[in-house]
Amino acid sequence: MFTLIPFLINGLTLGLLFALIALGFMLIVGVMEQINLAHGSLFALGAYVAYALLGPPLPLPVGVGEWWAGLPLGLRYVLALVIAPCIVGLLGILIEQGMRRTYGKDPLFGLLLTFGAAMVIEDVIRSVWGTRDYILPTPDAISGGFIALNLIWSTYRFFAAFAAAVFILLTWLLIERTRFGAVIKAGAHDSEMVRALGYDLAKLRIAVFAIGTMLAAAAGVIMAPIWGIRPHMGVDAVIPAFLIIVLGGVGSFWGAVIAGLMVGMVIGLTAAYASEWSLLSMYILLIVVVTFRSRGLFGKKSILEA
Amino acid sequence: MQTPAHAGRLITPAMVGVALVLLTVPLWIAKVGLYQYIGVEILIWAIYALGFNLLLGTAGLPSFGHGAFFGIGAYAFGLTQFHVAANLWVCLLGGILAASLAGALVAGFVARRRGIYFAFLTIAFGQVFWFIAMKARNVTGGEDGLLPIARLPADFGIVSFDLTGNTALYFFVLALFLVTVVALWRLTYSPFGRVLSAIRQSELRAAHLGYQVVLFKMLAFIASAAFAGLAGSLFAMAQGGAFPEVMALHYSGYIVMMVLVGGGLVSFWGPVIGVVVFLLARDLLGAVTLTWMLWFGLLFVAVILFKPEGIAGVFQDLRRRFSRQPAQAQPAARSTP
Repeated sequence: MFTLIPFLINGLTLGLLFALIALGFMLIVGVMEQINLAHGSLFALGAYVAYALLGPPLPLPVGVGEWWAGLPLGLRYVLALVIAPCIVGLLGILIEQGMRRTYGKDPLFGLLLTFGAAMVIEDVIRSVWGTRDYILPTPDAISGGFIALNLIWSTYRFFAAFAAAVFILLTWLLIERTRFGAVIKAGAHDSEMVRALGYDLAKLRIAVFAIGTMLAAAAGVIMAPIWGIRPHMGVDAVIPAFLIIVLGGVGSFWGAVIAGLMVGMVIGLTAAYASEWSLLSMYILLIVVVTFRSRGLFGKKSILEA
Repeated sequence: MQTPAHAGRLITPAMVGVALVLLTVPLWIAKVGLYQYIGVEILIWAIYALGFNLLLGTAGLPSFGHGAFFGIGAYAFGLTQFHVAANLWVCLLGGILAASLAGALVAGFVARRRGIYFAFLTIAFGQVFWFIAMKARNVTGGEDGLLPIARLPADFGIVSFDLTGNTALYFFVLALFLVTVVALWRLTYSPFGRVLSAIRQSELRAAHLGYQVVLFKMLAFIASAAFAGLAGSLFAMAQGGAFPEVMALHYSGYIVMMVLVGGGLVSFWGPVIGVVVFLLARDLLGAVTLTWMLWFGLLFVAVILFKPEGIAGVFQDLRRRFSRQPAQAQPAARSTP
């Protein structure tokens, strides 16, 4: 039994990371009932922007590049964690401007629109950075490893899982414990009433979309040192994200977090027996759960079922 | 989808026209700067897209994992060739049968779902098959693909045609394309297709009218998987191998893009237009820029935002505009005498 403990711990950290990846996707689908299939590409874009900030010096105007490169890596890392989501968030606002034409139509149009946007973003990434892999440098304090239970553990992985927990908590506070969260949830429930009370729903939707895409980018920055930066990372992120949302149930915050942990655990445990096939387990988990509970574990009725 | 003229016929004037144009393609395709193989590729993807549109355009079911059935057809064609019999007809049957069986398995799970949940589950199943194709190296060859798949001769008992050349293969695929067109035309405008249309418009109403909605959705899914399997088999033969790439999420999305850009939602021929535009854009734009998908993706976004009826929808609008003028002229002509 003791041999399973490392796999359980791995599964737990992986679960938190998966929940982090799904967080932005969940916010947009839960509050706005819109599928953002560009989530993965925005996730990847966040990682690439962070690489531009932390990797080799940029071709910036004289002085700026040197000044930036002269800052300590730790400070630059923290700044990258802020700047990359902001840049991606602006792109998210642009996508929302197109997406608003599909509100009230079949949700399929939003899904297709963001699929097209994902193709475009991926090709932009490919034309700017090429198809090669990059490694995101991390500050010394959170890189390297330590030995416990006679095994080598990656420090960064635990830092990332901790960061994931913080992001999950902050998002929960935002949705459930602020006035802003109450209004956006009310907007999803009864948009006419929210408008009648004098709230600008269009602005609220922009805000939600921006926050959702910023979370995608932040997840990308945090995952980059673990997965490596490569063009395929967008697909690697969007698939677990949608899977976790469907598994947890659309519209349920803790459902998504629990589903993320479940997926992480299942992958972690199957990795103990058949490492090559471990990713298959999450699909099977989804198919089994959705066969018996069509709205996922904690899903509520949603217009997406129409 | 509106009912077109000649919906009740087996062979329509439009089909004859398309067939005649396509028959002449090998004569001029090299002269316009293209090559024979692109013709083969376009026809194969057109079979795939037409079959897919039975699901998307007629039944209104958005499958985002259809690449799986295309890929399964390709692998089954190769595996039948290696392990059962190196006969073209047996191999094609193997490809279609394998894809239909996989389609039936998936349909059993997804047929009770609608809209986005249907799309999500098909993504999950598509990924499962893709993942298996990537990892079961001793069966599928993994990322390297299943090689080498031969272009078997088309044996009709008395005569046998060698299909190793691209022109010969083009005519063979063209024959199957025309069979597909006739079969899907009959299927789309048959009572079966009408029920699928009714399900697209309102599943609840169709169910209340007494139709077994789940059964119809399953049959539509299996039929469209079978055509994907046929196309996949032909693609394996054309490419000389079967590769997991076509089963990935991207390719499953591309087929949706092709069908929608072409106008599969409003026209039977929309998917074919979409395939021609997509593959020509890939070759012509791809020759100029490495980022052709950026431009095609933008076109796709524009279509979704401004003209969800696609290119065929634009044609229909134009035709309506031109046909309205004579229609307005008629009463005036009648009133003059």
